[in-house]
Amino acid sequence: MPAPPRSLETLAGMFIPPASREVVVGDLHERCLLRPGTPWACRGLPQYVADVVMTVPLVILSRIRRTTDFQVLLMEAFVLYLSFWGAARFMDAAFLDNRLGFLRLAIPAATTLLALMLEDAYAMPGRRWPLKAIRAPVFGLGIAVLSQWMLPVSNPELTLPRWILWCGAGTGLLLVAAVRMLFPPPADRPQGAPSDASQNGPAFWMQQASEPVSLAPGALRLMKGAGMLAAAVLVGALAVYQPMFRPQVLVLAAVLAAVVVAVYQVRRWR
Amino acid sequence: MAKPDALGQFEQLVMTAILTLRDEAYGVTIHAKTEELARPKNVSLGAVYVTLDRLEDKGLVASWLSDPTPERGGRRKRYYRLEALGERALQDSAITAKRIWEGIAEIWGKEWAKEWGKRWGKEAG
Repeated sequence: MPAPPRSLETLAGMFIPPASREVVVGDLHERCLLRPGTPWACRGLPQYVADVVMTVPLVILSRIRRTTDFQVLLMEAFVLYLSFWGAARFMDAAFLDNRLGFLRLAIPAATTLLALMLEDAYAMPGRRWPLKAIRAPVFGLGIAVLSQWMLPVSNPELTLPRWILWCGAGTGLLLVAAVRMLFPPPADRPQGAPSDASQNGPAFWMQQASEPVSLAPGALRLMKGAGMLAAAVLVGALAVYQPMFRPQVLVLAAVLAAVVVAVYQVRRWR
Repeated sequence: MAKPDALGQFEQLVMTAILTLRDEAYGVTIHAKTEELARPKNVSLGAVYVTLDRLEDKGLVASWLSDPTPERGGRRKRYYRLEALGERALQDSAITAKRIWEGIAEIWGKEWAKEWGKRWGKEAG
């Protein structure tokens, strides 16, 4: 049976995450050649397309599972919704009284999360870039803003007012980038070499192609501490100037944040 | 020494395929062997990839890329092999399966066990 058309293979490859692209397209190509039966022109093409349609979604889902830390995703969802809610609260408080107000705030947050998951899944494995923590949120929020411009075509009632969208996206960008700096995606986390031959090394997709940025553990801890302190100062300043940030709310928020961080750390260390 | 996780049935099939294929275990051959082991059920190539990824994340199998080959349009293969932890997990699964088999044979009788033994022999032959 002849090989599948190159154009079709290129098209299929566009949907497969780069980490698996070469292997999956190669396997599909080889299966095509191995399969006995009628000539390619009669049955080969539909079979190849069926193989691609059955295989590619599972490859994408598997990659998303590998590159997404669902605890961090939950944190990102929280800070994104908080950003849009905060923007609505300060820019136009009456917006929240709208019947669909809270749902409308969730749409850009959900779109950003989806884009972040796909961005992580389709990132080139092993490539490090100093501004990677910023790139994914910029891409995600860019998609969210674009989707808001397209939404009026289907349902104008669900769009956000322009200023709420831009302020929410700006705040969300800062907060998601901060979350990603503190808790990098699984593929970007530093890897330890196995101490002896009996131990397993990191999986291929987690191995770094270049030297990771070397930071002493103490310096990393110091940076994290400085980040936390800056966030505390920011919240404290808001509490002074905004009556809605009452002490009880702040204590509750601090307790919640401490619980989230503690649960994450315990899971990580286990 | 780390204790391996319990394996699901499909994971056992994929790991057995890797074990029996030895140095020729890559996507296409693993899928073919798994389908042979799982008959009469059909197995999709995507399901095999998902399972291989999961097994690798658990540290039960390891993988590496080969050189490009012309029969794959100049693309590389990803070969798999069982890690020590994976071999132990597969051994545990085999021991459990043997216990299940002995338990059933004890209740349903030796004749039943013999008949099934013959059927399996024919299938394998």
